Amino acid sequence: MVKLTIDNKQVEIEDGATILAAAIKAGIHIPTLCYNEELTPAGACRLCVVEIVSEKDPVTVSSCNYPVGEGMIVSTTSEAVIKARRIAIEVLLAQNPNSSIIKKIAGSLGIEAGRFTIGKDCSHGCILCRLCVRTCQEVVGLSAITFEAQGLERDNNGAHVAWDEEACIACGSCAFVCPTDAVTTVDEGDKRIIQTPTAKMVFALKACTKCGSYYAPEKQLAYMAKTANLPLEKFDLCMDCRD
Amino acid sequence: MSEVVFSSWGGQIVDNRNGQSTVDCDVQVPLKCGSNVIDAFMSWDGLVINDKNINVVALARAYIKEAAKLACGECSMGYSGFQLISGLLQRITEGHGHEGDVELLHELVDAVQKNVKCDYCANAVAPLKDAIKNYRVAFDNAAANTEPIPPVEYVKRVTAPCQEACPIHQDIPGYIELIRNHRYDEALKVIKRANCLPGVTGRTCVAFCEKNCVRADYDSALSVRALKRVPSDLGKQKPQASAIEPKTDKVAIVGAGPAGLSAAQHLAKLGYVVEVFDDQPIPGGMTFAGIPAYRLPRSVLQNDADAIAALGVRFHPNSRVSQLEDLNAQFAAVLLASGAHVSRDSGIDNWEPNLNGLTEGVKFLRDISTGKAIASKNKVLVIGGGNTAIDCARSALRIGCHDVTIVYRRSRSEMPANDDEVEAAEKEGVKFVFLAVPVKILALNNELIGAECIRMELGEPDSSGRRKPVPMAGSEFTLAADMVLTAIGELADTSILPINKVELTDWNSIKADKHGKTSLPWLFAAGDCSSGPASVVEAMAAGKRAAMGIHGYLSKQSIVSCEDGQLCGGFHEIGLSRRRHGSVVVPKNRQYPNEKPVSERILGFEEVEECFDVQAASREAERCLRCYRVMLIVKRQG
Ligand SMILES: Cc1cc2nc3c(=O)[nH]c(=O)nc-3n(C[C@H](O)[C@H](O)[C@H](O)COP(=O)(O)OP(=O)(O)OC[C@H]3O[C@@H](n4cnc5c(N)ncnc54)[C@H](O)[C@@H]3O)c2cc1C
Ligand code: SF4
Repeated sequence: MVKLTIDNKQVEIEDGATILAAAIKAGIHIPTLCYNEELTPAGACRLCVVEIVSEKDPVTVSSCNYPVGEGMIVSTTSEAVIKARRIAIEVLLAQNPNSSIIKKIAGSLGIEAGRFTIGKDCSHGCILCRLCVRTCQEVVGLSAITFEAQGLERDNNGAHVAWDEEACIACGSCAFVCPTDAVTTVDEGDKRIIQTPTAKMVFALKACTKCGSYYAPEKQLAYMAKTANLPLEKFDLCMDCRD
Repeated sequence: MSEVVFSSWGGQIVDNRNGQSTVDCDVQVPLKCGSNVIDAFMSWDGLVINDKNINVVALARAYIKEAAKLACGECSMGYSGFQLISGLLQRITEGHGHEGDVELLHELVDAVQKNVKCDYCANAVAPLKDAIKNYRVAFDNAAANTEPIPPVEYVKRVTAPCQEACPIHQDIPGYIELIRNHRYDEALKVIKRANCLPGVTGRTCVAFCEKNCVRADYDSALSVRALKRVPSDLGKQKPQASAIEPKTDKVAIVGAGPAGLSAAQHLAKLGYVVEVFDDQPIPGGMTFAGIPAYRLPRSVLQNDADAIAALGVRFHPNSRVSQLEDLNAQFAAVLLASGAHVSRDSGIDNWEPNLNGLTEGVKFLRDISTGKAIASKNKVLVIGGGNTAIDCARSALRIGCHDVTIVYRRSRSEMPANDDEVEAAEKEGVKFVFLAVPVKILALNNELIGAECIRMELGEPDSSGRRKPVPMAGSEFTLAADMVLTAIGELADTSILPINKVELTDWNSIKADKHGKTSLPWLFAAGDCSSGPASVVEAMAAGKRAAMGIHGYLSKQSIVSCEDGQLCGGFHEIGLSRRRHGSVVVPKNRQYPNEKPVSERILGFEEVEECFDVQAASREAERCLRCYRVMLIVKRQG
């Protein structure tokens, strides 16, 4: 176990835990956007910045992926933190000025409108937090969504997130975790439509053999049958018609 | 010195704008690029202005535009921060600046430095901070002005400390970034741009990059070699279609080792008709005949070679070339890449080549590789301290010899073998006798029974910087053995050279320049046959340079040696590893690939090291600081 102090509160937490986890344990709120406790932290949104004041030269770090240290003294409200956090949300606002969650966090930090605009079209709303990428990989167990980055001699379309329609099972987890509604899913009749910043994908839904209601994507059922090693017929009935 | 108008390089300010120097310092940035004077230079460690007419705002605009291309997108502060900075500079230089723009720029630069995920963006914005601070008036005027500022003309260089240390200058941070995002096909493509043997080097490379990894200053270097293996195991190789028109010139390559293969790949990509002659059944040179299969499975080697054959290169296995001049009649140029395979004279008394059990180490390894049956023995002595000695000892265990001892004339810390190789041998039960050397082979009734050795002590440092071992009189002792293997270095075979026509070096290898040119115009040489025994990656680099030399010779063009990703001239001293404004390094332990347990692995030649799994590979790749250095150079015209 490691003892540290966050905003004058003593916290004890297992070695290797992150500062954010320690803050949550101590009941201290740190704003986050790309954090999800089920997933590997990404350190993408930079909102969870805190200051380690016990260092000889105090440093600001992202608390979601920085490990705790014995005797560490952390501030979540210092001047440096507030400054860094405000500009981080302004940068996010520039990427997606319409997102309700970003506007809400900005409001809580006392910012009504950001001072920056990104020259090019960013109406698709994706802020590259990679919650969808991480969820697909780590929770669903697939890699149907990938992060297409820039880099030496790579194309300069800019970093973006791309879907592999073939690998996708249409479970919709990505739309569920997306904080800015850049990815959405709707069921229309016998179809599920997943709309991403770069593509629109349409998947067939399966009808319950008893009541006839469309209850889940066929690809998802096939994937479940395969991973559970069960015959596909086991998934003929919807949840309501199963006894 | 007085040529510098302004410099903030390394954080040290030299300001001669008013005609007098405030600090007298030696700016480490060269003043010339090739034959051109450098007027301005902007990179991660500051800006250097050598011509007072340079418009620093336009320079900053160009630099930020280029630097923004390498922001990876994994954190919004870095990626979007760079885009916002770039956008502000664009409108300022286009004459559409707003009041307060320079203050906004300053705030953004500060925020990027203090709150980004990795080192790249934090370092990359630093010179803009220097520029704004020291040329504030120019920025303010530009923001207020409605006249556009003409852009500067520049050349760009991008490298990284690891990339620069790599003899073939692979884009290491680039493929690590792709591995982090599980994008193995593309990572393999990036690797293959500079490296025709990804599978081989992913397992055996000596990894100069790791010795120059900036991360080593914090916890430990990246596992670059093990990471490189991941895309070669998990990625798919797409055939690389050549866009170049085929040429009629034919090039013969003698030797299908790393040097020959690398040259073949580059020449084939340039459109030449390439034929490779090798006296072994399988391509690979020493990576086939020397490096044992438990370190490099043959299927991996074959895969890498197949990809080169797919470029149209013709292989002639089991074909020993006995006279190079014969080849010259059919081929416009000949590359000698025959390696160093002739064992040095052991200098041991009573060395009787026909005595059963007495073998040269490389021959022993080659016999195992080519599938010859070798009877196991009871007590084996291996003489030497390099990787060949370790490979011999570990292979001897695997053919069933239980008692294997390495005898080395210096101490453990002077062993040229890689540390992890020595550790692996120790774990497997190889014994070591340090500071001793066999002086006489002992035989009884024509049977090998052991070796007489003498103890050594370390004296003054020799030319290699290591302390020279000197025998201690009267310290002779005997080690019993029924097999003795020598691994004391190899020499090039010079017997196939046209007699007295090719100049040799003092150590009897073929004398060749950087681009492989020998004293005969049609003959080029690369790899161990010219450098003496070195490494896979150095041989590949030499092969590539020789390919450029051959291309220059056949096309009668001059060779451009200043490639992208490789610094030339004075830029070598620029201090790429320095981080002036780095981000906070999140502590993370280095990951090592799993290994087969000792009890299992010494039973045969199955591969010892496993590939990282997808998660471990991502975790390890996450540790990379992305130390790309973007350099913007403005050359004086004329
Ligand atoms: C036991 C051992 C272990 C090693 N381990 C490592 C390691 O882990 N990592 C590393 O980086 N380096 C290692 N090396 C060094 C590395 O293998 C060599 O530096 C590298 O292979 C040199 O490449 P090359 O192309 O110059 O020559 P080679 O690889 O030696 O290839 C030359 C080829 O030419 C053939 N040839 C020679 N003469 C003729 C002829 N007249 N006609 C036709 N063919 C001919 C040879 O048979 C051979 O196939 C090791 C070396 C040895 C001996
Ligand atoms: S941290 Fe990454 S980019 Fe930096 S030197 Fe090491 S491998 Fe290269």
